[in-house]
Amino acid sequence: MIEIQINGKTCTCEPGEFLLKVAARNGIYIPTLCHHEGVGEQGCCRLCLAEVVERGRSRIVVSCVFPVEKPIEVYTDSERVRENRAVVLMLLKERAPESEEIARLCEEYQAIDGSRFKALDNEKCIMCGLCARACQSLGTGAIATVGRGTGKKVSTPYDEPSKDCVGCLSCARICPTGAIPYKQDEKERRIWDRSFTLVRCESCGEIIGTREELLLAAERGGREPDTLCASCRQKQMADVLAHTYGLE
Amino acid sequence: MEVTEKNMREIIEGYDRDQRYALAIMQDMQRIFQYVPREGLELLAEYLGCPVSALYSMATFYKALSLVPKGVHIIKCCDGTACHIRGASTLIEGIARELGIGPGETTPDGQFSLETVNCLGSCALAPVMVIDDVYYGKVTLERLKEILSEVKKGGGGK
Repeated sequence: MIEIQINGKTCTCEPGEFLLKVAARNGIYIPTLCHHEGVGEQGCCRLCLAEVVERGRSRIVVSCVFPVEKPIEVYTDSERVRENRAVVLMLLKERAPESEEIARLCEEYQAIDGSRFKALDNEKCIMCGLCARACQSLGTGAIATVGRGTGKKVSTPYDEPSKDCVGCLSCARICPTGAIPYKQDEKERRIWDRSFTLVRCESCGEIIGTREELLLAAERGGREPDTLCASCRQKQMADVLAHTYGLE
Repeated sequence: MEVTEKNMREIIEGYDRDQRYALAIMQDMQRIFQYVPREGLELLAEYLGCPVSALYSMATFYKALSLVPKGVHIIKCCDGTACHIRGASTLIEGIARELGIGPGETTPDGQFSLETVNCLGSCALAPVMVIDDVYYGKVTLERLKEILSEVKKGGGGK
């Protein structure tokens, strides 16, 4: 067990634990974009910077991928952190000028002026790759990063509708900047150039997912596809239990 | 070699079913077919049990892999600082005149592809050109004609 100081507060953690996680556990907020509990750390948005002081020396680290190994002092909102974060946010804003979330963060953390850079046109994506990782870790793997350098983007193979996609919206929902477009009406959902038929709860009529998504889940779980939404399923289960114990 | 399912399977099945061999298999396909065919990518995904998107991502990441057929002979013309000063652009123009292709293009007969690279580490030989792993240094326009006809005849390179 290691004892560290975050903004003057004493926190304990296991050796090798990531700083961001330790801070979060102790109720200390550090802003992030590319971080998500479900898919592991990547350290690419550089927003979660923190200042680490060790034996009188101070340095800036990326807290989501910084393993705590020694007793250190950490500052998450020092002058130096604010200065660095203001630059990072400016760069992110030039990369994804259309993103409302980044515009909000820029306002909140006073990003510096980035007018000397040419902002990308009509772009919301910061190329963090969370969507691709989410899709891979769900085992569908319909999208991935394609190409490299300035031409890198997230796409399906050959930019064609992917047969692996089940239209589950994990990519669109995990995206921190809302960069993945999709359309949905009463019957249909369109994402990555494919349409999916929506299935509704048999009891209350709530949308429970696309047909492909439910079939995949059923196949993995070795059971029949869901026909009820989560709350109707709970209700059904409660009814069964009540009946079993004669509580009706 | 012809791009057939049998030939592709032969390449793929020379390796164990492990995703870490994906790159090696794709490199083999590139060397043998001069590109990574779409069917090859799909067969490989099935063999390794990984999504096509993961392989497509890799194939678009590495410059050594191409998704469209490349020429039998690959000309790498250096346009780094030293070569550029010593006349690499004239050389590239010379190739365009001789073969009718610009950087990134392939001749219609599928014999030559032209690529420009940023440095081949042989600046003393500037301007440098590499055809199928054979280095040609201090290339002039006259020498270029000789080299190309030599390669066409099968003398140089492969």
